Amino acid sequence: MGLRLLVKVFAAAIGLAILIGARTAAAAALHASVKDQKGKLVADTVVSATPLDARNAPRVQPPVLVIDQVDKQFVAYVTPIYVGSKVRFPNNDNIRHQVYSFSPAKRFDLPLYAGSDAPPVLFDKPGVVVLGCNIHDWMIGYIYVSETPFFSKTGSAGTASLEDMPSGDYLVKIWHPRMQQTEEATSRRVTLSTGTPVNLEWQLTLKPSLRIPRVSGAASPSYP
Amino acid sequence: MPAAANIEHSPRRMQLTPATPIAVLSAIVLVCVPDLARSDWTLGTDAQLRHDNNVGNAGNYANIVGDTIVDARLSIFQLFPIGENYSLSVGGDLGGEYYDRLKGLNNASLGAALAVKRKWGLGAYVPWARIGVSIARSDYNDDYRNDMAYRATLSAGQRLDERWNLWSEYGYERRAASSQPELLPGISGDAYSQTSQKLTGSAEYALNERAFLVFGFLLRYGDVISTTEPGVGIFTVARAIAADPAFGPEEYAYKLTGTTFGFRVGINYSPTPHNLLGIGFQRLDTNADGGNIYTNSILEISWDYGF
Repeated sequence: MGLRLLVKVFAAAIGLAILIGARTAAAAALHASVKDQKGKLVADTVVSATPLDARNAPRVQPPVLVIDQVDKQFVAYVTPIYVGSKVRFPNNDNIRHQVYSFSPAKRFDLPLYAGSDAPPVLFDKPGVVVLGCNIHDWMIGYIYVSETPFFSKTGSAGTASLEDMPSGDYLVKIWHPRMQQTEEATSRRVTLSTGTPVNLEWQLTLKPSLRIPRVSGAASPSYP
Repeated sequence: MPAAANIEHSPRRMQLTPATPIAVLSAIVLVCVPDLARSDWTLGTDAQLRHDNNVGNAGNYANIVGDTIVDARLSIFQLFPIGENYSLSVGGDLGGEYYDRLKGLNNASLGAALAVKRKWGLGAYVPWARIGVSIARSDYNDDYRNDMAYRATLSAGQRLDERWNLWSEYGYERRAASSQPELLPGISGDAYSQTSQKLTGSAEYALNERAFLVFGFLLRYGDVISTTEPGVGIFTVARAIAADPAFGPEEYAYKLTGTTFGFRVGINYSPTPHNLLGIGFQRLDTNADGGNIYTNSILEISWDYGF
């Protein structure tokens, strides 16, 4: 009886130790802050961290994500996803859209559709995918297909956090649709350890924003 | 010269009568707008305030009449894909013009349009071409100007990059109005019917995310109507003459053949994605038969709303 109790207590202790150990190993964090050349906070910047030790890259089942179309705009404007993920493109407008991309990372064309009729699209190569609508030229969106499961996107405060990462060495880089420098030029090698979040700051040089105007004037014959 | 004593001016009908059918249709469309905006149709509206320093196209300084005009238009169309690269758009528009001084020129119009567009590839930066036909009925306060306009257009263009957007359009237009009583034997009274061809070219240059410049040129050949007091220079070359009481009791409309050169510059600004405000200037120089030359300078302020 006493031996059984001892075995149970020992097993529970080992289980707890494994649980705590695992939690501790995945408790490293990274906080990123991005500003532009004028010091303004930059939203929609993807921050990704690639573990240099492949053993720190967990096996993740790529999810099915959604990029909406609302009021003839892609929502969200920038969407980071993990390679191998599928994305649905539901159309919440009451007109039809034709979503396409001819980016090398993924070429596809969803013929005119309404509602949720379009099948999900698999993004199986890392890279940047530029989305458009063949009917509404001003509609533009970006999918950042990340080769690592550790990524985030800056909000309006220009900050993003990556939490619960395994301790270890990482290559951290950022990407923004309007940045002038290459993604590689932003990369930094950092060592993350438990309990000590790493804070990183970037200052990007952004190109001017020149999105195609939605209303181009009655004199313009380019639409429809 | 026309014998004033024989002139029978068309009765000026200032009541609602001339525009009644259009007004009724307008009311129906406007009432339906909220529902249409939620259906598989695309709606657009635009309004413009402009000043034309020579509405009547007069060559003689003493006869030049300028006016300020407000116009508004509601357009609606539906797009049908046909094949991989073709689309068909079917729609129409409803509009009206209000003249500050020349009340007889106030008008309402209702039109229908059909166009086939081809894009050579996917996306915003591929070349495109469009062929279209349209028909429109305009009802004026002074109903002797009422007409039907038939247009055929061929346009093509390409957005080169995020900054530059270019297009050009060739158009043929026939405006058919009722022939007015002959003022002199042997000279037609059909002064308000016109046939013309027009070539336009436009370039847009984006300054930033919200503002873009517009440059355009125009070359037009065909019938022009010049309203002026009687004069030998214009009378001898006019192909048709009719009274034009909208401009005054002693004013006559002369139909001539002329060539117009024009340019337009403007700047547009989008305060919100759905709205576009613009200001522009147009200059038109017309050389008509018999050495009749006139110019128009038009200043425009516009507002466009895309649903």
